[in-house]
Amino acid sequence: MEGTTADMEKMKHSSTESAPKELFVLAQQKEDTSEKISGPSRTFFQDARRTFFKNKFAVLSVILLIIIIIMSFVGPTMNDHGIDDQDLARAKMPARVPVLENLPIPGFEGVLRDEFKGSNVEEATNNAYSRYDNQKDFIDIEVLSEGDGSKNSAEVRATYRVYEAKGMEDEYFWLGTDSLGRDQWTRLWEGTKVSLLIAFIAALISLVIGVAYGGIAGYYGGKVDDVLMRILEVLVGIPSLVVILLMMLVLDPGITSIVIALTITGWTGMARIVRGEVMKLKNQEFVLAARTLGQSNKRIIIKHLLPNISGIIIINTMFTIPDAIFFEAFLSFIGLGITPPQASLGTLINTGFDNIMLYPYMLWFPAIMISVIMIAFNLIGDGLRDAFDPKMHK
Amino acid sequence: MKLKKWALLLAFGLLLGLLAACGGGDSEDAATEGEGTEQSADSADGENVLHFINGDTIPSMDPSMATDEFGFQFIGATMEGLYRLDENAQPVEGIATGHKVSEDGLTWTFTLREDAQWSNGDPVTAHDFVYAWQRAVDPNTGSEYGPYMMSGVIKNAEAVNEGEVPVEELGVTAEDDYTLVVELEQPVPYFESLTTFSTFMPLNEKFVEEQGDKFATSTDTLLFNGPYTLENWTSTAQEWDLVKNENYWDADTVQVDRINHVVVKDPATSVRLYEEGSVDRATISSDLVDQYSTHEDYQVVPETAVFYIKMNQTRNEALANVNIRKAISMGFNKDALVNEILNNGSIVANGLIPKDFVNLPDSEEDFREVNGDLVTFDLEKAQEYWEKGLAELGIDSLELELLGGDSETSKVMNEYVANQLSTNLPGLTVNLKNVPFEQRLDLDTNMDYDLQISGWGPDYLDPFTFLSLWITDGGNNKMGYSNEEYDALLQEAQSELATDNAARYENFLEAEKILFEDAAIAPIYQSAEAQLVSPKVQGVHVNPFGATYEYKWASVGSAE
Amino acid sequence: MVRYVLRRVVYMLITLFIIATLSFFLMKMLPGSPLNAEDKLSEEQKQIVLEKYGLNDPVPVQYVNYLAGLVKGDLGISFAFSNTPVTDILMDRIGPSAQLGAQALVVGTILGVLLGLIAAVFHNGFLDYTSTIIAVIGTSIPNFVFAGILQYFFASELQWFPVALWGDFKHTVLPTMALMIFPMATAARFVRTEMVEVMGSNYIKTARAKGIGEVGIVFKHGLRNALIPLITVIGPMAVSLMTGSMVIEQIFAIPGIGEQFVNSVIMNDYPTIMGTTLLFAALFVAIILIIDLLYGLIDPRIRIGGNNS
Repeated sequence: MEGTTADMEKMKHSSTESAPKELFVLAQQKEDTSEKISGPSRTFFQDARRTFFKNKFAVLSVILLIIIIIMSFVGPTMNDHGIDDQDLARAKMPARVPVLENLPIPGFEGVLRDEFKGSNVEEATNNAYSRYDNQKDFIDIEVLSEGDGSKNSAEVRATYRVYEAKGMEDEYFWLGTDSLGRDQWTRLWEGTKVSLLIAFIAALISLVIGVAYGGIAGYYGGKVDDVLMRILEVLVGIPSLVVILLMMLVLDPGITSIVIALTITGWTGMARIVRGEVMKLKNQEFVLAARTLGQSNKRIIIKHLLPNISGIIIINTMFTIPDAIFFEAFLSFIGLGITPPQASLGTLINTGFDNIMLYPYMLWFPAIMISVIMIAFNLIGDGLRDAFDPKMHK
Repeated sequence: MKLKKWALLLAFGLLLGLLAACGGGDSEDAATEGEGTEQSADSADGENVLHFINGDTIPSMDPSMATDEFGFQFIGATMEGLYRLDENAQPVEGIATGHKVSEDGLTWTFTLREDAQWSNGDPVTAHDFVYAWQRAVDPNTGSEYGPYMMSGVIKNAEAVNEGEVPVEELGVTAEDDYTLVVELEQPVPYFESLTTFSTFMPLNEKFVEEQGDKFATSTDTLLFNGPYTLENWTSTAQEWDLVKNENYWDADTVQVDRINHVVVKDPATSVRLYEEGSVDRATISSDLVDQYSTHEDYQVVPETAVFYIKMNQTRNEALANVNIRKAISMGFNKDALVNEILNNGSIVANGLIPKDFVNLPDSEEDFREVNGDLVTFDLEKAQEYWEKGLAELGIDSLELELLGGDSETSKVMNEYVANQLSTNLPGLTVNLKNVPFEQRLDLDTNMDYDLQISGWGPDYLDPFTFLSLWITDGGNNKMGYSNEEYDALLQEAQSELATDNAARYENFLEAEKILFEDAAIAPIYQSAEAQLVSPKVQGVHVNPFGATYEYKWASVGSAE
Repeated sequence: MVRYVLRRVVYMLITLFIIATLSFFLMKMLPGSPLNAEDKLSEEQKQIVLEKYGLNDPVPVQYVNYLAGLVKGDLGISFAFSNTPVTDILMDRIGPSAQLGAQALVVGTILGVLLGLIAAVFHNGFLDYTSTIIAVIGTSIPNFVFAGILQYFFASELQWFPVALWGDFKHTVLPTMALMIFPMATAARFVRTEMVEVMGSNYIKTARAKGIGEVGIVFKHGLRNALIPLITVIGPMAVSLMTGSMVIEQIFAIPGIGEQFVNSVIMNDYPTIMGTTLLFAALFVAIILIIDLLYGLIDPRIRIGGNNS
């Protein structure tokens, strides 16, 4: 039994007149009255909203995304490091966060830690020392295995207290610094902002073009549709990444170029879906009725068609945004994206990759960020799809 | 129902397990098998094999057409010219056993060995050289390096290349099969070292003509006369071998039977392959030096390439102002860049001619030592010049574009230089443009940049290879630099003084000083390469120009 | 049916023709030529080189020549590799890409179907959530991030597989894993949705009522019907494999076509860029066509006749 309390309540309200044979009557009345009662009390969108807010993952994702968006504006101002404040003296500092640094969670203590091998403990220790600038006073050695004199048999774990060694006990880089000594916290949020900005703009433009194109094709049909659809088919015939790469070749790198490259391919999916929906809807009774009443095309489109396809547009947009984020990251990853010193999640991941062996924190933070954003958008998209699906309304 | 669902899950589990087992089994078998064959190939049958990484495919194996590091590398390993460079970069016997130079220094007569053979058994004769050199300057060939290396060196090279006289007029003739006579345009003191270069390799006319357009596109369409032959290669090959050439005249000296090369572009991947034991040498990119500088196989190979900022005086008029240029050339901290960012043994460059490249003929002192530091990082002076320059131009802010490469390290370096200049010189905004190498060349050719981080490696053992870059309207100038005095000094060095090497060097020293008085370029660093090299690799030496590595005298040591 | 197929093939050819035209003129707009450090060549030499590549003719003539070459399967000569026809380069490179793509598609789909099946059978249970989360993560995390993680842990740290390069089967394991994550996640999500729907349908209820075993119901009645629409998502999967290969091949140093494409872009090797673009487009259009046809053949509910619209 999947009947929810809401259903039960509906039934109770409607079943006031005949009390005795409760069970039997209830079933019948549910069929008869459900439409009458719930119809006026809640519109489709209210219903959709209810369903959406019941989806814990989706709601959580929305909250998470809102926090991320706010942070991408607030984050960079939370400390006084700028996006391009370089200082090689403080390059590649690990993450250090007040309070967290005293807890036994690795990653935020402001230390570098690694295992070193040698034929005996002394050799391994020396390896550790020379790796960490010979700052013996600030290196703690923990012997993991004594070794038997053969090659690499001894192993020690060295912990290097970088901040102390560099005389920056009072300094906190919450997510560490990159190879030019720039604060990763600032750059991560700035990068997130750029990535999201590109994604939102690209998705918005794709939406406008896609809806207009698909709407026109679907609404007018016939020859217009034929021509428009043939053009679309050609465009869809080329894998989008290929087009994007070619566009980046023609345009100078930068945010605008990326947006252009992304929108050139991004709108086709939307156009197809919108066309399909409009085709389906335009022959339905309510549109015919409106037309018989002499309403203009414009009015029919805006008043009757758009509201009915808005759900599918929103859902589709929710899936184009992560696509755009992915493509931007991909372009930056192969070096065709954002120009430095600007950062985006893609460029940060790219630099992270270069340093993965020694300073993995440079990769983890942007990688986690992009994953979280992508997952959140996908979950919201899923949630919306369910919400706009009448079958899922309970 | 619950039970049935669990039964279903069990079925899935079994299925998955089965799949995993199959997969696992396969890969394990493959792994052990792979190791087995690897070992047998390396040691069991006594073959001496080395495994190296190449940074990219070989674009061209045609000696006349090759223009890049990898082409030179493999042409150098598989072919032999008149001479070959030994470990001290001194020319030693190649196909030529000796030569005589005429009084006026214009006619060189080489005696060739009679036991040299092509890999198809044909003898290597003086005619092969004549054909190859003519081909290199023949305009129909379309060679870049042919005219670049031979013009002004070999008689009539320029005229032939311009199509003014037939190729037969080129100053190279075969007196008989084993005597080659070369007439020079003017005395060239470094001509011996030129003959080791790829462009001067001989070619078997019959074979080349037979192959036509297909020549040098794969192993089958190449002939070799060097210590190794190139096997399994096509122009897009990702893996190939250098195999000992039994027909080589000095085959007894060659100790290594096979040198395998695979293309790996990603530095991190290269290092992992090294650690895995699949390759015997890997370049350590700057990011990875921290980790491997304590590795027992770590070594730094000094190089002779110099990197600098080119300042284009034609696009932005501010750069035509010498004070602005001076400010820029003094306005960024090179020490920090070399130590913290490059971090691979590269050293700060305060002049153009690299350290340990050439010595003065008489005193044997290093050129760089003699001329000293011509421009260093000096914040105060830089700002002084900057203010002066801005005042002269009547502006208070300036926006410049900095064009740079897109490799991992150069991206970091570009960002650093841009940031340094913007921070140190008030009112200056530097916009970065990182592009791939090929695109940078295009932009350079069209002089479509303000500042450009560029580099130059020598093509022969003489300061002229660097200094000739900034002759007025020179092919590689491409920044609108022009100084009559500079041109005159170099002109004199290459003509009247050509037989007096000591005087030539005086001119070179003077010319370099002028270059920096004009602040034509802002030197950054002289490169070096950090590598992990297995103890197995013995006797490989690094050349200052031409083929990077010399494998003729290589041998395979024990792995420990 | 035959008419329908013919019509589709004609459209396909038109599409390819337009793509060829577009990419040709796009390339003409770009700076750069086979002459790289141009000034080292004399004027006469430049002419000879341009002649060799047919770049001296007026653009329309070049265009006609290019199209004529296309018909004969001649894609021109690469700028970057002297004297090597683009066709040879592509033929050389297609093997590894095809192998990886096929492996990833097959393994990914099988695992995805299993995952989706588990999720559907244990609908709203712990296993459902687990496999759903795996699927969401799979579609969300960029494949190059995933590839890096795989390389780091399985090759560098654990040393189970080679770090990179192309050789025997074990070299294909990690790239296949990195590539298959998207098809797997897509298939899993799809099968789950379909199965949930199918399992709630009347004929399954009927089957249950008839007392057919749960295993029989799931595999014989449920899965079979849920799998048919899966064909429709193979198209996007194949595309993601193609484009995914661009980065994955780079990371694992695999001599495939995606790696070649990115390199050509970086090296301004226009003939190769055009050739690769066309190849990708041709594969893509062909896959879409095959899927549409297959779908029509398999699912009797969908009739793709020639005269329905």
